[in-house]
Amino acid sequence: MNAAALAELWVFREVFWAFTVRFVKVKYKQAFVGIGWAVIQPVVAAAVLGLTLGRLTNVPSEGIPYLLFALAGMVGWTYFSTAAGTAMESLVDDRELLRKVYFPRETLPLGAVAGAIVDLAPALLTLFVFAFAYGELPTPAWLALPLPLVLLVLTAAALGLAFAGLNVYYRDVRYAMPYVLQLGLFLSPVLYPSRLLDEPWRTVYEIANPVAAALDGLRTIVARGDWPDWSVTFAALAWSMVLTLLGYAILKRLERGFADRA
Amino acid sequence: MTTMVSFEQVSKRYAGGVGRYRSLRDELARTYATVLGRPVPDVTTVDALRDISFEVAEGEAIAIIGPNGAGKTTALRIMSRITYPTTGVVRVRGRVGALLEVGTGMHPELTGRENVQLYGRILGHAGRDIDRRFDAIVDFAGVADSIDRPVKQYSSGMQLRLGFSVAAHLDPDILVVDEAIAVGDAGFQYRCVERMRELVHDGRTLIFVSHDMSAVETLCDRAILLDRGEIRAEGRSGEVIEGYLGAVEASRIEDEAPLGVAHGDRMEVTGVSIRDRSGRPVVEVPAGEPMTVRLEYSAHEPVDGPIFSVGLADARIGVFTLASMLIDGEAPDRLEGRGHVDCTFESLPLYPRTYEIWVSVRGAAGYGDLVDWRRFALVRVTGGAGGKGRGAMTHTLADAPVKIPYRWTIESQPTR
Repeated sequence: MNAAALAELWVFREVFWAFTVRFVKVKYKQAFVGIGWAVIQPVVAAAVLGLTLGRLTNVPSEGIPYLLFALAGMVGWTYFSTAAGTAMESLVDDRELLRKVYFPRETLPLGAVAGAIVDLAPALLTLFVFAFAYGELPTPAWLALPLPLVLLVLTAAALGLAFAGLNVYYRDVRYAMPYVLQLGLFLSPVLYPSRLLDEPWRTVYEIANPVAAALDGLRTIVARGDWPDWSVTFAALAWSMVLTLLGYAILKRLERGFADRA
Repeated sequence: MTTMVSFEQVSKRYAGGVGRYRSLRDELARTYATVLGRPVPDVTTVDALRDISFEVAEGEAIAIIGPNGAGKTTALRIMSRITYPTTGVVRVRGRVGALLEVGTGMHPELTGRENVQLYGRILGHAGRDIDRRFDAIVDFAGVADSIDRPVKQYSSGMQLRLGFSVAAHLDPDILVVDEAIAVGDAGFQYRCVERMRELVHDGRTLIFVSHDMSAVETLCDRAILLDRGEIRAEGRSGEVIEGYLGAVEASRIEDEAPLGVAHGDRMEVTGVSIRDRSGRPVVEVPAGEPMTVRLEYSAHEPVDGPIFSVGLADARIGVFTLASMLIDGEAPDRLEGRGHVDCTFESLPLYPRTYEIWVSVRGAAGYGDLVDWRRFALVRVTGGAGGKGRGAMTHTLADAPVKIPYRWTIESQPTR
């Protein structure tokens, strides 16, 4: 890992922050409902799924009301897919900037991932309101809430960094991405519980796919008031950090050719 | 003295044929071909820079000039760390404020204020520096009234002014400017040049690419002439510019030389040549010297009282001086067979530059063209403009061609 690159990222931290602010500001310009979309998206998705999947097929939901179960999954997943998706497009979208100004390129995808947190906040509040409505009041376990959120941020950053760089070289990424993210929705325990898998596969799966660990953790905390599975959570955290550094290394590796190919 | 920028044998090669971005399919096709030992699809390359070496010292103002496609912008991009050389070593010391093209880094949805904050940070400046300079930036750009409106409502001139203003106010160690001021109105261009001069005066380093030779000469002590990716000349800006303009005009004369034949029904002009005082054919005439335009003709049948006209023009519409037998009445009674007609201009009170020679031949009645009025030849008038003012070297096409001898008389009375 290139320590000089990280040192430079620190010097340019204000650029990262400026991009973060820009992603937030630009997103809902000229949108009447504005940040309301951040609430509408997961709620509508969870409601539709709750009425169809929950009623018709009787998906097991670990004793949690299916609507609450699906909403927790959708809130986490919506953040992840928005953050990763925006980050992957960020370099190509700002190619004019890449061709004219120098700044550490990772600040753009990282800014996208950070900017999406602004959407996550109202969505989480909505989830809390639903939890209260179902009689789930905060317990001490809610102190662990940052852990699944950090997992989501790190995994989104890992994917965002790597694929933002690849996207500059191969625009195929841009077309493949919606499918991959859609597939991810079904490959992660958003709408069904990961307990469908038997141990030890379930543990392996949740660590390999940190999003799964995050969604499970989020649900366990908010909808059940329990502490998350510590060993799984920390193993997934470590793994997602490795992934983030890997994504960062990939972007740094590709960075030199950006201006010529963007 | 500290070296701020150094290029050591820098080359930059772009892959041309495959296009600026590749799809995975192309890449797979190439891999497939390589693996199977089939001919790999061709990748043509373009050498934007070839083996370039130069240094820029602290506090120096240097210009890079040359025709389009010479590699000037590539050199600036490498300096600004936007792109990287294919081979060679580049060293840059300090913070680069780069201004490459219009409206760099402006986001259309954000207001002017937000854009100043964003763009300033992208250029690597701390928020408090930007806040401290904010008013000066907005004043300089002249957008104070619309600073809280989204930039998409700005005219392109306003966007450009704001972009330049941010880059020029944030104390870059090295200011890199590419053609940016070519778009602003005249008043803003003047302020840009003044601002850059201030920065140079404060000891900043300026690297300036422009086709505006008088701005180059005003700002820069030293110039590098690039052509097709190679350094053709380097030295004092006045000399490099003179050489460059000379070469441009020489190539223009070469390109357009075979103008000198015109066919008519009854007679034709078979050649037009320029002769100096001693009658030798030349392509250049020193300013102030006499010039003879020789028209070779060939008459298919005897022509009575043909009227010759010779005019001089610069790039503007119409000639600015005319020698016409229609006016002076010196038309020959009759021309037969072959021969030539000489028209001698006693002296050329002209500024040095390339001029066009226009010719026509009309019938005796003054109408009915025997040979159409058109441009036949180019002549280059040489010599300094004979002054020591700033524009003496770079007197370009936009300025007046004729120099009538003149003098200034200045009276001034001190006020009490």
